[in-house]
Amino acid sequence: MLALQILVNGLLLGGLYVLIAQSLNLIFGVMGVVNLAHGAFIVVAGLFTYWFASSTGINPLAALPFVFIVMALVGAGLQPLLVEPLMKMGRSKAELLSLMVTFGLDYVLVELALQVWGSSFVSVPYLQSSWKFAGLDFSQALVVSGVFAALVSALLYWWLNRTDSGKSLLAASQSETGAICCGIDVKRVRMLAFALGVALAAAAGVLVIIVEALAPQTADDLTLLAFVIIALGGLGSYVGVAVAALLLGVAQSVTGYFVGGNAEYVLPYVLLILVMVALPGRFRRA
Amino acid sequence: MRIHKYPRLALFAGLLALPCAAFLPAPAAEAAPPIVIGGTISETGPLAVDADYQIKGVKLAVADANAAGGWLGRKLELKLYDDKSSAGVADRLYERLITDDKVDLLIGPYSSGVTTGIAPLINKYQMATMEPGASDPSIYRAGNRWNIQGTASSLQYLDQLLPAAKDRGAKTVALLGLESAFTLACYHAREAQAKELGMKIVYQTTYSLPQPDFSSIALAVKNAKPDVVIACTYYPDAVGITRSLHQQGFAPKFLGETVGPVEAPFTKAVGPLANRLVTNTGWWSNFKTPDNQGFIERYKAMFHQDPDYHAATGYAAIQVLGAAVKATNSLDQAKIRDWLLSHTAETIQGTFKVNENGLSLGYVQDLLQIQDGVLKLVYPAANAEATLQFPYTGS
Repeated sequence: MLALQILVNGLLLGGLYVLIAQSLNLIFGVMGVVNLAHGAFIVVAGLFTYWFASSTGINPLAALPFVFIVMALVGAGLQPLLVEPLMKMGRSKAELLSLMVTFGLDYVLVELALQVWGSSFVSVPYLQSSWKFAGLDFSQALVVSGVFAALVSALLYWWLNRTDSGKSLLAASQSETGAICCGIDVKRVRMLAFALGVALAAAAGVLVIIVEALAPQTADDLTLLAFVIIALGGLGSYVGVAVAALLLGVAQSVTGYFVGGNAEYVLPYVLLILVMVALPGRFRRA
Repeated sequence: MRIHKYPRLALFAGLLALPCAAFLPAPAAEAAPPIVIGGTISETGPLAVDADYQIKGVKLAVADANAAGGWLGRKLELKLYDDKSSAGVADRLYERLITDDKVDLLIGPYSSGVTTGIAPLINKYQMATMEPGASDPSIYRAGNRWNIQGTASSLQYLDQLLPAAKDRGAKTVALLGLESAFTLACYHAREAQAKELGMKIVYQTTYSLPQPDFSSIALAVKNAKPDVVIACTYYPDAVGITRSLHQQGFAPKFLGETVGPVEAPFTKAVGPLANRLVTNTGWWSNFKTPDNQGFIERYKAMFHQDPDYHAATGYAAIQVLGAAVKATNSLDQAKIRDWLLSHTAETIQGTFKVNENGLSLGYVQDLLQIQDGVLKLVYPAANAEATLQFPYTGS
């Protein structure tokens, strides 16, 4: 029973990781944009949710549709301004330059969040209990975030592989020239992907604020964690990232239980180094 | 040029002006420059919640001192920078305060970790510095005597909980500690205390931040079934541990956490899970210390919130520094340091007194318990507002 509880805790933690990483995977893995503002989008949405729930008393999850739509519009507005001009410089240059541009965007968003919400850590006291099933405890907040993450992953997979717009995005990511020759509006597709990535990151923020205390300055920690997960799972691979996130959650749960908190903390980074050394090809985009 | 065109007229005007000037009011004596107190504070980073209270206490104390005429006939002025909760950043900023800004006096940052980073610099420049936010006793040692502790030592954090729990039948303990200077000092002190009291430590671990989830640690605690859980925390991990213990379906008879639960956002963040949780404080509203009620009223008026002990330590540090400046009638760092190491001073958080290395001997850490959403002093019995309630319900 103990082993099962450790496994359940790990899978639930992994579900949260899927949520945090999958939207970055869309932007980084498919578009080749190194979005260092990823964590800032999560944090801004999370803090907005805190403000919304604490000032209205309404269920924090009610903020999710609003946050998703607004942040999609924000993403759609930012992409032509900040990211699209870089795409003209070629793929490899765009990757490096997008890193710098989104690094600046991260600073701006974090500073804005500091001005609006202050630097305090906050969290929403919602779904703090656990559901008991077959003698096991299932953290309610992590179950909800895990279910949402599974839905997001499934929908993304379906969209990218079964719809024309999704296939257009994949085609554009593989060969821009080829996609243009096929009549795909590459600019529009890239804007759509960036908007969707930002919206999904923001949706993750609505759920993360329920699980853990957030402050504007935690944005970079979330970005780093997301990068580690997508690097472990294979850039651009939705199934790979989901599997890597779940395995990482389980590995941390086992390590945390048997070895302690410090070992659990460093595990993702140790794994990253090991994978980089042993499987360097893993870091090519899928 | 006009001056060459009408030289005689200008001379006449100048001569006329001289006697007129005699009837003008004498120019005011040049105001003395303010005494500048420099320091850093964690406006951002994981320490920001607690640090915010500390710096508000400092600001109020400076405002109060200025309202009373300042020190040595000079007004006080604060020069503060954000150290981002980083010892490295603080180190650079204190060097800037000393060498570029040339401040007259220094006030220490928040947290033992950040203070540990700047302590050698303080020593190097020989600036007598009150440290309101550094409870780690290892900072205050021979050869490092320019740092003066302005708060109770972290050895005292939750030191009354284990004896109180033992009196109520508790036999086993789990210890959790964040990897930071202050929390580890607390962690090892409680570990030693549990052994002295003959209480069995059934689980112990340390952890680092950011930690997105504490479920594996909470499960290990649950499996060990301790009567008492003591967590040496800051705010974010206090929230995480409280939630995770509940989610793993475990409520020890006594749950104590150091920093975090005393802040108002904590109770908002965990809601009913805070009920009967024990924490500690170096200051409380019912302390019979000089001007304590006045401090509370002025703090509320200025910041529209209740003060906590971080605010009180910030305030008291300026009180002590002021006492030293006035007693020595100087801003000479050596004189101020020697006075601080050898004298006592009455403050809102009690009697300031340190040993020859600057380690606090006078201040205390009493026990608070959250009862129905309200913090109440429960130990020591002489000052208690309520009795210690147990078991911790976790809901």
